[in-house]
Amino acid sequence: MKLGAGRSEFFINFIAILITLSIAFVAVIVLIFLLSSQPIDTIYYFFIGPFTNRYYLGNMLNTSIPLIFTGLGIAIAFKSSVFNLGGEGQVYAAALVTTVICLALPTANGYFGGTLALAGAALTGSFLAGLSGYFRMKWGTDELISSYLLSASIIMVVNYFITGPLNDPTNNLLATKLIGSQYFLLKIMPPSKLDIGIFIAIATAVVAFFFMYHTHAGYEMRMCGLNREFSRYGGIDTARYLILPMLISGLLHGLAGGFIVLGTYHKAIKEFSFGMGWNGIAVALIARNNPLAVIPAAFFFAYLDAGAKAAMLHSDVTFEIAAIVQAIIYYLVTAKVIYRFIRYRKRVINA
Amino acid sequence: MHSPYSIPVLHNTIRIMTPFLFAAIGGLFTELAGMLNIALEGLMLIGAFFSVIFTAFTGNLFLGLTLGILSSVLVALIFGWISLYLKANIFITGLATNLLAPGLTTVLAFQIFGNKGVIRFENIPNLTHITIPIIRRIPLLNDILSGHNFLVYLSWLTVIIAAIVIYETPFGLRLRATGLNPRAIESYGLKPRRIQLAAILISGFTCGLGGSMLSLEMGAFVPNLTAGRGWIALVAIYLGSKRPLGIVIASFVFALTESISNYVQGITSVPADFILATPYMVTLLAMIGWSVWQYYRAKE
Amino acid sequence: MREITKYYVESGVLANDRVSLEVKDNEIHALIGENGAGKSTLMKILYGLERADSGKILFRGKQVSITSPRDANALGIGMVQQHFRLIPQYTVTENVILGIEPTKRRILLDKGRARREVSAIAKKFSLNIDCSAPVGDLSVGQMQIVEIMKLLYRKASFLILDEPTSVLTRQEIDNLFGILKSFKKQGKTIVLITHKLDEVSEISERVTVLRHGKRVAVRDTSDTNPSELSRLMIGREVALHVERPELARGKPVYRLESITLREKGRNVPLLDRVTIEVHQHEIVGVAGVSGNGLSELEDVASGLRKVTEGHIFHNEEEITNLTSIELREMGLAYVPADRLFRGSSLQSSVTENMIICNHHYFIKRGILNGKKISQFVRELTEKYSIMGEPDVPIGTLSGGNIQKVILARELSSDTDFIIFAEPTWGLDVSSSEFVYRKIIELRSEGAGILLISSNLDEVMALSDTIVVMYKGRVVMYSENKPSLTKELIGEYMLGLRDDFREVQSVKDSRGVQS
Repeated sequence: MKLGAGRSEFFINFIAILITLSIAFVAVIVLIFLLSSQPIDTIYYFFIGPFTNRYYLGNMLNTSIPLIFTGLGIAIAFKSSVFNLGGEGQVYAAALVTTVICLALPTANGYFGGTLALAGAALTGSFLAGLSGYFRMKWGTDELISSYLLSASIIMVVNYFITGPLNDPTNNLLATKLIGSQYFLLKIMPPSKLDIGIFIAIATAVVAFFFMYHTHAGYEMRMCGLNREFSRYGGIDTARYLILPMLISGLLHGLAGGFIVLGTYHKAIKEFSFGMGWNGIAVALIARNNPLAVIPAAFFFAYLDAGAKAAMLHSDVTFEIAAIVQAIIYYLVTAKVIYRFIRYRKRVINA
Repeated sequence: MHSPYSIPVLHNTIRIMTPFLFAAIGGLFTELAGMLNIALEGLMLIGAFFSVIFTAFTGNLFLGLTLGILSSVLVALIFGWISLYLKANIFITGLATNLLAPGLTTVLAFQIFGNKGVIRFENIPNLTHITIPIIRRIPLLNDILSGHNFLVYLSWLTVIIAAIVIYETPFGLRLRATGLNPRAIESYGLKPRRIQLAAILISGFTCGLGGSMLSLEMGAFVPNLTAGRGWIALVAIYLGSKRPLGIVIASFVFALTESISNYVQGITSVPADFILATPYMVTLLAMIGWSVWQYYRAKE
Repeated sequence: MREITKYYVESGVLANDRVSLEVKDNEIHALIGENGAGKSTLMKILYGLERADSGKILFRGKQVSITSPRDANALGIGMVQQHFRLIPQYTVTENVILGIEPTKRRILLDKGRARREVSAIAKKFSLNIDCSAPVGDLSVGQMQIVEIMKLLYRKASFLILDEPTSVLTRQEIDNLFGILKSFKKQGKTIVLITHKLDEVSEISERVTVLRHGKRVAVRDTSDTNPSELSRLMIGREVALHVERPELARGKPVYRLESITLREKGRNVPLLDRVTIEVHQHEIVGVAGVSGNGLSELEDVASGLRKVTEGHIFHNEEEITNLTSIELREMGLAYVPADRLFRGSSLQSSVTENMIICNHHYFIKRGILNGKKISQFVRELTEKYSIMGEPDVPIGTLSGGNIQKVILARELSSDTDFIIFAEPTWGLDVSSSEFVYRKIIELRSEGAGILLISSNLDEVMALSDTIVVMYKGRVVMYSENKPSLTKELIGEYMLGLRDDFREVQSVKDSRGVQS
């Protein structure tokens, strides 16, 4: 048995995403021709750059770790028709909490302290997102706007701690002290930054898929997401599924923050997680909120990011062209016209 | 408030309120037409960037302002066309607009000035400051309401015009009907999408004005200059119960908070980051308070 | 209209297959056919809401192209659609003028002139209506009149009415027909879409019959009779007659006791001390005009809405204000009126729709047992002969098949009490018959059934006991007996009679406490 949409729906989704991404890539090329004085080189670095050596490739995969987590966090919320726009603040605050826990236990066992730190990160994310879910459940406060506002103010508070009380005065960076080296996650592709977090991220996606499609709570959550009235009629506790998706979403955002600290940065740096929350939304949209599809979607975004970085390093364009490409993907990824076009073509071919 | 600071704080409130007011009034049109327009933020940033750039290039304030507003209207057109005619989810396209604005402005700034940070312009003319003749004699009101730049007064005029358009014209009647029942509108032979697109273009226009106020006032462009003002304006629409006068009051409250925190920042040792967080916190609390009130009112 | 063809690509339905229709000037023309025969589609094409794939439209001898309601209005063609297209928050005047508003100084609304012009129309055609009232406060019959006023304001001389009587009482229908006849005297042409044959002979001069998207006959009304039309429409003689075996009713299974439902900001309660009792082997049919508490009764009886006062009992156990979750656990089965939104989740698969209320049976340690679910779904699909694969979105199925999925699901577990709300609304004849057979079967098996329906024929054909609601009150409560005529019930439905006391005695003798 397979719950969820049938095979033909899957095919149509796949083609639609392919069309959207192709348009985005054409846009990249056009942008580079407009902006760069050596367009051919820039295009080479943008598209091929990330694959030219182990270092670039590993770093690209490393970038995808938090994206898988945030993408899953958004996908699960969206599937339940709950909107978490506070990912930025949740990732950032969780990263700070991870750092603080590790710094507070400078001599603890790595596994014990690391697990504790990740649990703290998950709880932080869950708490922040859960607040918005709670307000929505209790009084109907729009969680979309409340999560954004809460996140925006939390970012300022985290900034204060990183640049103020927790700042490392011996360093010029606006950052905290380095955490104990027993907490560093194992690197698997030196000299790149890629660590074992990638396996945990992929495993999390598989678990999330199983949860959404094969468990009691997952089924009820998806039904609430598609039609809340129908679910209430069918005897499902719909109020619970306003807050639970937010808690899970926040938990996954929190893990994203935890893993970038333990795996990549080993400390909290001012604004170092910026964009990860928003990118999670893009990843989820490309994945059509399917947890398994989040993995390739996160790779794709990491590739876009790595391409833009490589182009910036070796050529004369700035990194922000990635944001423009991302915007184009956002614009088109939900366009129904693309779907109608595919359905029409399919019918013509089948007829 | 009897401290000697209350008048400058209120004077500043009136100034700070202007971008909120512009964005929220534009957002009111899209809201009444039945759309959640989170793109206010991005549209403001586009307006801010292009009006200061074009003013610097042309050396003419009005030309620059006009071209700046046209830019945000153009982005609104793209945003609206994709949402309505390509039938994309307006929430996601709104996010796209909010992502496009910082991306586009940074890329262009880098391309033109080779700089991604603050861009200062020496040749931006000062915004004309206006003294209101009628209240010149009234000491307190004159100090608070008078002596602002023309955009401040334009925002007041915009509110009045918006109220007339919404409640006293055929377009307003159709606009509100679209938000209430778009399918009914079709049976009247009207095109709901066209009305909705018009509302989005209006929001592009007013957001352009609101953004211009931010950049022209300083004679500079700062990355992420709008800093969440579009979102706060969105909340102001709800708190103002989707009415022009309510929006004025909500915008005033938010502006007052910001004005007070600016003032507090000058005289206390409260960390700047906390003060920066207050407008968001206050907006959030106001929003929660409002929904609690609504909840209990519905419950009796 | 000549040789009009319309094919819906999305659903693969050929709605009109080279249909022609001639309407003479200044006549009342009836367009009849079953649900899905293509009547509405044909008229939507004429009104510019849909485009024909082929064929042409001749109006007063000239070929015309109508691509929007505006084009139609310009030719003097107006249409009242089956589902009203009104803005409830707007006043009658605002609803009427929307789209061609009178202005002053070219840009401002001229509210005074609007009011005068709309009242003038009401006066001219002696329509009894308060033009400054919000449409949401009006009765359905008055909303119908507002829709017609919209056409008159647009100076329409050719009026199309799509199923105008489906939600009206007998008396409102008489009023409407009176208005239509006066329109004819003033030179207007009217097309009336209907599937009620008595109305055809009552008001029309000529009649066109459609079946499965094709025109099968055109007759002068005087040359035909209802049984011939019925044969033409359906292809065989059918009367709404349901075999209802004599059965002694058993013990009471469900009782609503003096239920009152109030809403904030409304002085009049939505439900006012409603008492209804359902026994084993009994079908209690609740009839009423929409807007008189039927949908509120549905919500309250199914536990989706909390009552303000009163008690609900199931087998003598109090279940007042339990949540729908708890009611489901007690075995409540409920086929809702709103089956496309409340009764199903259109984007979810047939399987997912089938297990919404019983997925608890397939769970072990929080995990769904896929094998058992597929088996369950396969069995039900066969038993109810549902046309549709288990993993396609239910929204791709036909209305009749969606209703079968809902029935299959709701009746899959043993239950002694079932709520049916508008169970055949929008279904074709064979699907309706299936539903009726099922309801009778459940009755024979011993279940108590609460049937809430605005279709009086249905209530009269199925019920053992008939209840009529008016303005949230039970105004009639009686055993279904031959002396209860349609006209009599209609008078209760419209509130023309309120002499419930004689019936009260019947109720008391049946042991219902109030």
